[in-house]
Amino acid sequence: MNEDVRISRRDLLKVAGAAGAAALTPSALSAATSGAATSATPVAVALPVVTSAPLLNLTAAETEILAAIVDRLIPSDELGPGALEAGALRFIDRALSEAESSSADAYRAGIAALDRYSRYSRGAAFVDLSSRDQDSVLIDVQSGAATGAGTGFEGSSAAFFNLVKDHTWQGTFGDPQYGGNAGFAGWDLIRYPGVRLRVTDEEQRMLEADELEPARRSAYDFGQFQAQSAPSSNGSGDAR
Amino acid sequence: MTKAAGLVIALASAVGVESASAQVAAPIVVESTTIAAGRPIPRDHSPDGRNESPPLSWRGLPAGTRQLAVVCEDHGAGNPPPWVHWIVYNIPASATGLPQGIPFDAADPMPAGLEGVRQGNNGWGLAMYRGPAPPAGTVHEYEFTVIALDRELHLPAGLSRAELLEAVEDHVLGRGTLVATYTRVPADAGAALE
Repeated sequence: MNEDVRISRRDLLKVAGAAGAAALTPSALSAATSGAATSATPVAVALPVVTSAPLLNLTAAETEILAAIVDRLIPSDELGPGALEAGALRFIDRALSEAESSSADAYRAGIAALDRYSRYSRGAAFVDLSSRDQDSVLIDVQSGAATGAGTGFEGSSAAFFNLVKDHTWQGTFGDPQYGGNAGFAGWDLIRYPGVRLRVTDEEQRMLEADELEPARRSAYDFGQFQAQSAPSSNGSGDAR
Repeated sequence: MTKAAGLVIALASAVGVESASAQVAAPIVVESTTIAAGRPIPRDHSPDGRNESPPLSWRGLPAGTRQLAVVCEDHGAGNPPPWVHWIVYNIPASATGLPQGIPFDAADPMPAGLEGVRQGNNGWGLAMYRGPAPPAGTVHEYEFTVIALDRELHLPAGLSRAELLEAVEDHVLGRGTLVATYTRVPADAGAALE
């Protein structure tokens, strides 16, 4: 039986939960199996602060639309904060200035195309649609059905959806060092036990019994790691 | 939305959803208040509009009908064809149709009287209705087929077309199909981002 792959928080969590530990902090987990002896006791860390400061790479109108998209991909609900609260929007803006700068034009074009598609098909700007209609638009963008409707999508609309989805995941579930996952909201959401350099037998038992207190610290707070490809931890996404 | 009466009476041998063991080829009349047989489907049932499932109604169910299923497919698309747009099942025999806008979110409740209805996976792998989106400049035909069954099957959500047909095999009493067309509507060039 095929899996239901429509957009839903449940599905995102299902996949993110399965892949999260391995995909989001690979270097940290690699170290975790190497027998390093640093304590994994949870410590208080300075968390990124989500602010309303303007984004660097997008106009106010583009920012509003992207925020609405991100908010629907992983909405805040009874399970906890969503992608917007986790700082995924700030993460994306920051990435567009750095490692993902080559995607900046794709974002601008895709945001404009999605909004044109929304106005064309649903008769209103994307940000003015109900959550239900926003989801319906995003499903059509995800499936590629928004392609060819004169929206201006370059290639399949699915490519833009996947671009934003991937970055939203990274900004929600990635290491906070990169500007997202504010307050470890993403890790809490998927119940990620946290970066640990060593796991004792007792900790393994507690983990399996769901009794282990999650470690909430960035991999870069461990001395073994240098954030050569990551921005300074002082710039955790809120100062730009 | 203009209400155009759609009507077609089709025999089992004339429709796309086949069954190897249909017991009786009973004709079912399938209609829609928004879709006319052989005419273009309104854009609100496509991604050029709100992409809501169309209202359907049926009559002339075979005696002994206990449950119904609905499949919408395009035999001019898919590799291999057909491309499936919608699969609905567990429809009670007491239902005389489906209202417009069956929820695409499984968390949303089904309409009254249809609480046990489930949707299968369409060609996009989505357990919901997604309307016609043929390549620009082409006209495709879309078949809405109603299948009458002699048993209540209580099928889970997310079945593929093949899984549904396998599940209903040996239980098909009859079918009816409403066939309509669609070609994509050119976009309004004035709807630009402000």
